[in-house]
Amino acid sequence: MDKPEEKTAYLDEPEKLQTISKTGFFQHRGNRNNMWRVFNFVLLAAGSLLILSPLWWMFATSLKTMAEVMSYPPSFFPESWEWGNYIRTWQVAPFTTYTINTLTITTLVVIGSVLANSFIAYGFAKIPFRGKNVWFAIVLSTMMIPGFVTLIPQYVLFSKLGWVNTYYPLIVPHFFGSAFYIFLLRQFYMTIPTELIEAAKMEGASHFYIWWKIGLPLTKPALATVAIFSFNGAWNDFLGPLLYLNDENLYTLQLGLAVFKGQLDTQWNYLMAGSLLVLLPVILLFFFFQKYFIQGINLQSGGK
Amino acid sequence: MGKRGLSMRRKESIYGYIFILPFIIGFIGFTAGPLLFSFAGSFTDYNITSQMEFIGVENYQTLIVEDGLFRTSLWNTLYYVLLSVPLTTLGAIFLSALLNQDVPGIRFFRTLYYLPAILSGVGVYLLWMQLLEPGTGMVNLVLGWVGIDGPNWLFDPDWTKPSLILMKLWSVGGSMLLYLASMQGVSKSLYEAAEIDGASRWRQFIHITIPMITPVIFFDVVTSLIGGFQIFQEAYIMSGNGEGGPANSLLFYNLYMWNQAFENFDMGYAMAMSWILFVIVFILTVINLKLAPRWVHYEGEDK
Amino acid sequence: MKNMKTLLITLIGLGLILSGCAGFQTSNNDKESVNEDGKIVVDFWTFWGSEIRRPVVDKIVEDFNASQDEIEVKHTYSPWGDIWTKELAAIAAGNPPDVVINDINATALRGKEQQAMNLSEFYDDSFSEKFYPELWNATLHEGDSYGIPFNTDTRVLFYNKDAFEEVGLDPEDPPETWAELEEYAAKLDVKNGNSYDRLGFYPLWGVGYDVWLLNANGENYFGPDHNTDTVNINTEKNVEVLNWLKSWKDRIGEDVVNSFQAQIDSQQGNPFFSGDLAMIVQQPTFYTQIRDYAEDLNFGVVQLPEYEEGNGHTSWGGGFVAEIPKGSSDPEAAWKFIEYLTGAESQEYWAVKNFDNVANIEAAEAAAESDELTEQGQMVYQMAVDSMEDTLLTPAPVAAPSYFNYINPQVDEFFLGSKTAEEALAKAQSDVEALIEKNQ
Repeated sequence: MDKPEEKTAYLDEPEKLQTISKTGFFQHRGNRNNMWRVFNFVLLAAGSLLILSPLWWMFATSLKTMAEVMSYPPSFFPESWEWGNYIRTWQVAPFTTYTINTLTITTLVVIGSVLANSFIAYGFAKIPFRGKNVWFAIVLSTMMIPGFVTLIPQYVLFSKLGWVNTYYPLIVPHFFGSAFYIFLLRQFYMTIPTELIEAAKMEGASHFYIWWKIGLPLTKPALATVAIFSFNGAWNDFLGPLLYLNDENLYTLQLGLAVFKGQLDTQWNYLMAGSLLVLLPVILLFFFFQKYFIQGINLQSGGK
Repeated sequence: MGKRGLSMRRKESIYGYIFILPFIIGFIGFTAGPLLFSFAGSFTDYNITSQMEFIGVENYQTLIVEDGLFRTSLWNTLYYVLLSVPLTTLGAIFLSALLNQDVPGIRFFRTLYYLPAILSGVGVYLLWMQLLEPGTGMVNLVLGWVGIDGPNWLFDPDWTKPSLILMKLWSVGGSMLLYLASMQGVSKSLYEAAEIDGASRWRQFIHITIPMITPVIFFDVVTSLIGGFQIFQEAYIMSGNGEGGPANSLLFYNLYMWNQAFENFDMGYAMAMSWILFVIVFILTVINLKLAPRWVHYEGEDK
Repeated sequence: MKNMKTLLITLIGLGLILSGCAGFQTSNNDKESVNEDGKIVVDFWTFWGSEIRRPVVDKIVEDFNASQDEIEVKHTYSPWGDIWTKELAAIAAGNPPDVVINDINATALRGKEQQAMNLSEFYDDSFSEKFYPELWNATLHEGDSYGIPFNTDTRVLFYNKDAFEEVGLDPEDPPETWAELEEYAAKLDVKNGNSYDRLGFYPLWGVGYDVWLLNANGENYFGPDHNTDTVNINTEKNVEVLNWLKSWKDRIGEDVVNSFQAQIDSQQGNPFFSGDLAMIVQQPTFYTQIRDYAEDLNFGVVQLPEYEEGNGHTSWGGGFVAEIPKGSSDPEAAWKFIEYLTGAESQEYWAVKNFDNVANIEAAEAAAESDELTEQGQMVYQMAVDSMEDTLLTPAPVAAPSYFNYINPQVDEFFLGSKTAEEALAKAQSDVEALIEKNQ
């Protein structure tokens, strides 16, 4: 297919590609740029309201009494701000234990996901080998079968291994890669110039070395994404812990939150307070993890 | 490539397999068995606990020839995928473009827009049921301010699927993250070069940013296509009693399959359904993969 | 490469530390279910984890454990709804718990699929008489019970006495028939332009159309035995009932109906509490919400009105059973606990503490007179007990467990105006018949 000329015009000039820009893109711009920034800011701020309003509702509910939650029409601001709801919530079930349990699982899952997926993805992206396409098709295929039909046989399998009522079924599979992250990281590795890898090989570097010394640093933003996603996934996982954990001392936060949601009687204020508390670590993690995006080393500069 | 000797190629092959070995072990150890089991099960009358009789292709035959609800669920799911995938992809790109700028409080904004993606579970869906309430719900209230008489959302079969798509758009921050990570990888020197050539911001976006993030766009399209076909929980909660109403408008493929497997205990039938879905999604993915070289630009690829 | 080594060492170290933690200790699934004291351990799974229910069920378990020295019941909470997915997986893997609380409407089906154990070896004929017959019958598959009824519910009409008084209706004389219901509702309406300051009644909040069909017919689609030989969906009476229900929607207006409906569906902000809705059909346990969230509300409660005088106040209910999953390691011990759980003593304790309808007749009648309830509580509970006499269940027939998936969409289309009642019910009838034929 013939690409439009402009599309690749800048890409075909290696000198420009290799230039490292120390000064940021925005610093030396004129008025037009400031206008743009203001516009951008206003747009983001307006959008924030859309995002925030549902969250406000959660927050407000978490501070109401149940009598107020059930009153009609719903109130926008809590009548009396029941901060005690947060303490009560934490006491209804052993949430401190649940937090430790969840953290244990989540930490291991993140370690496993980042290492395994990036290792596997490097193989798919940067090493030519026979049968690669077939295996990649298999990787993608594992995403396409709805989990419901493999849920029971998988449970039986883990049960045979004696893994029911342990954390192994929730952690170990993550050390063997999962399709979504393999595919994602492959896409990022694909953008690393092959010349870079060839050059390293010429100097006698093995693929392990290249993966560790070039691949990992160059894909930091993507690895940060995988870390955040897998953290999020493990933190919010409901079905896994539900199926595999039988002992309440091993339960996770998401199972704990389900306590507030009964058949007919849902304690909305506690449920919302609990949801927000559980959300907090994820928000903090994301807020501080962001520097990996902001400082994301661009491929051309970091490769040298 | 042609220059390389056979031994070199073989060595590379061994390396390749070493790198993907964890996946192969995991696949054979944890995934392949259950997958094969579900494939075999699709040819049986299997009720999970006590019975598994071989019945040939009867499940498939019933599904394709007789089952009207199967067709409804497939149609609903296709409708949802065809609308949600392009909309969420565009939404995520647009959002990440805004969030990839240097404006005051950008870290705060990024966190904020990512928030809906971390929120999960029943609470969020029930929250949306309230927001989408036709009379006093916030969505219609806001629409009312700009003079639009909002629809009946979850009560009108024509609007139930758009309701879910709206909700999906709200939590587009998840894929925003992917694009953001990808945009960080785009060399600033490219923009500077374009700036020197006097290219406008819009042209820079179209001609530099977009081509450079095509690998991730491709990833997003493929995975949200696969994910879109598996939509379940939203419909399970938001269609009232989990039956896919009103008028079956939220009866998605996986919801119907769930009901067959865990309400009727007709797991063999559900397994057959899952393999039909597999074939459909697989074909669509292959088409995607075949089309990819036409528009996906891998900077690192050999020209 | 140094980094990699450090990383590996850290990982192995971490692994070693964690392998000491409880979550990392594997057990080899042996069927040994005896604890250190030599007692048989009965694993008991429920979805009762809330701060109201949990202490009650834990107390019952504790009392049972104290009452004898051979068995120790271990109660585990698992989330509502999902608990049964988990149970199913555990049954499939051959390592299920010993007693599980499950939905009564699918008990017979689970019996047929051999997920639950046939309990007939444990009970004699007199045992079944302890429970409401409608509940007991729902647990039977081919004459044998597969789960013992634990709790239940019914549907009754709650009404706002102050509102009655305000419009000149006698608060002690609630509507008895559909005609009166309509008449009273119209009187209670307070219209304000296109909306309502107060709405008298709308039949489809709190219950579905099927409850009204049940109420009018005095039996469900499949007759009293849930026998799928006859299917009575497309009947003249059903057409008439649907049209009657639709007339409410037409009169009140779709927007108002949807708006209230969304509020009620979201399980928050109930308009009955604030007096914006004068009458609503609900379970008797709705009383606890009024008690806790709208204590000043002056309300009354009555059985569902009759279709016509003399037709009967037929209501609809469901409930939960205690069952022994197939593969339980010690069914005899499990049964002993079930006997205790469904016995009059535990049942009354449960009924009073939770204000919940129980399946044991003796316990239910005792609870209605219990001193632990307030006068108002006793009044509602008595109404529930009365209503139980007229309450029907709609257990999933084994030949068509998902029949409602074929009726509901058609009825939806009728209410949306895209089909007439005759068309909708005719299609539902033929779809359900086809389903039954397919499954036979």
